[in-house]
Amino acid sequence: MKKIGTIFAAVATVILIAVIVWDGYFNKNTSTDFFAMDTVISASVSGADSEICVEKIEACVNNLDALLSRHDEKSEISKINNSSIATVSEKLGGYLSSLLDICQKSGGAFDITLGAVSDLWSFGKNASIPDETELQKVLSECGYENISISGNTVTLSSGKIDFGAVGKGIALDEIRTILDASKINEATVSVGGSVLIYGKEAVKVGIRDPYGNAGRSIASLLLSDTCVSTSGSYERHFEENGKRYHHILNPKTGYPVDNGLISVTIISDSGLVSDALSTACFVLGIEKGTELAEAYGCEAIFITESKQIYTTESIASEIEITDSSYTLIGYEN
Amino acid sequence: MKIKLFKKGDIAVILVILVIAATFWIYKSQNTDRLEAVITVDGKTVETIDLSAVNEKIIFEPDTNPKVVIVAENGEIYFESADCEDKLCINCGKLSRKGDTAVCLPARTVVTVSGSDVGIMTY
Repeated sequence: MKKIGTIFAAVATVILIAVIVWDGYFNKNTSTDFFAMDTVISASVSGADSEICVEKIEACVNNLDALLSRHDEKSEISKINNSSIATVSEKLGGYLSSLLDICQKSGGAFDITLGAVSDLWSFGKNASIPDETELQKVLSECGYENISISGNTVTLSSGKIDFGAVGKGIALDEIRTILDASKINEATVSVGGSVLIYGKEAVKVGIRDPYGNAGRSIASLLLSDTCVSTSGSYERHFEENGKRYHHILNPKTGYPVDNGLISVTIISDSGLVSDALSTACFVLGIEKGTELAEAYGCEAIFITESKQIYTTESIASEIEITDSSYTLIGYEN
Repeated sequence: MKIKLFKKGDIAVILVILVIAATFWIYKSQNTDRLEAVITVDGKTVETIDLSAVNEKIIFEPDTNPKVVIVAENGEIYFESADCEDKLCINCGKLSRKGDTAVCLPARTVVTVSGSDVGIMTY
């Protein structure tokens, strides 16, 4: 009988070790933090391929930066901006087509040709209110209608294409493609606050306190297998003559949007859509923003300067308010 | 007949494992209350500071370009000065709660207070 006990203990130990080794191999966690696209990228990946996957993610984002940056003279975007006509990769052509669709459906509230207007404001450097005459002149040269695509040929009659409002979301889509092709169970990726939750396991996603530190949340919700992007007027701003100017510009006026919103969060299967719509819905405001989000099958969360939270219909019940100074209004038809 | 499944040695091994597990669990649960700040440059950790134990001013000057000066005092940590253009890192203010973060993009420096109530933040 004593032998039975010893055999039992030995078998249990072997099983325990096997489980630990198995779990360590197939749920191997690898994390990374790095800088690219003028922001911080954090990735936490779990699965047998996690180490190689993290390396691929870093290379992917750096390649994307080189493709989309309008400040890199060698990028494909610069090629278009510097000459009225350019042949682009299939990948960039695809992004442009998707973005033009959002420009049109938002009625121009989202516009990828505002690069020169953003430059005039110089947010993040020596920001100041631009000269009105110069602002209106530059604005008159902008407009997504100036872009036309035929096959892989892009024509830009005037303005400068700027992927600043969508590069992070596009990066999430590219990263998802890498994860899909690897042995990965779960992953969370943040590209400057636009996040990808990969895998079936729900992750608690916090929405930033617009009036506090970037790491503090005022609400949270459990999400799986999706992308989440937020545009907030707190990100880059300055004050002049007692008035606050932020970086989300109204393409119609060239001035920062002033509609009582302080942040908009969009939840979508696509990072490109979540990122672009977070800006578009911010510009459109709650009512029209809700319509646009619903047209794309997305969920939206609007936070006002007076700390009220409006949402699309089905997401309201999923939100947990973690800061009692905020009020959940939910969906208003 | 009296059935005896385990030898004395087997019981001793099980007890040792239980003691190790309990010690590990107690250590982990004690550390959840600890307020730890981490300074990273280019994604690599250069300093780990137990903020709960910091009373007097401690100055950190990591090897960065542009230069940044990070101060920890009275349970808080913050960018005191930075040679960057935008000064967004200084505007992040004093970090004192789990999850608080301040970033200096030009200096590729991140200061974070470890731990958070959420899995990931959107901002």
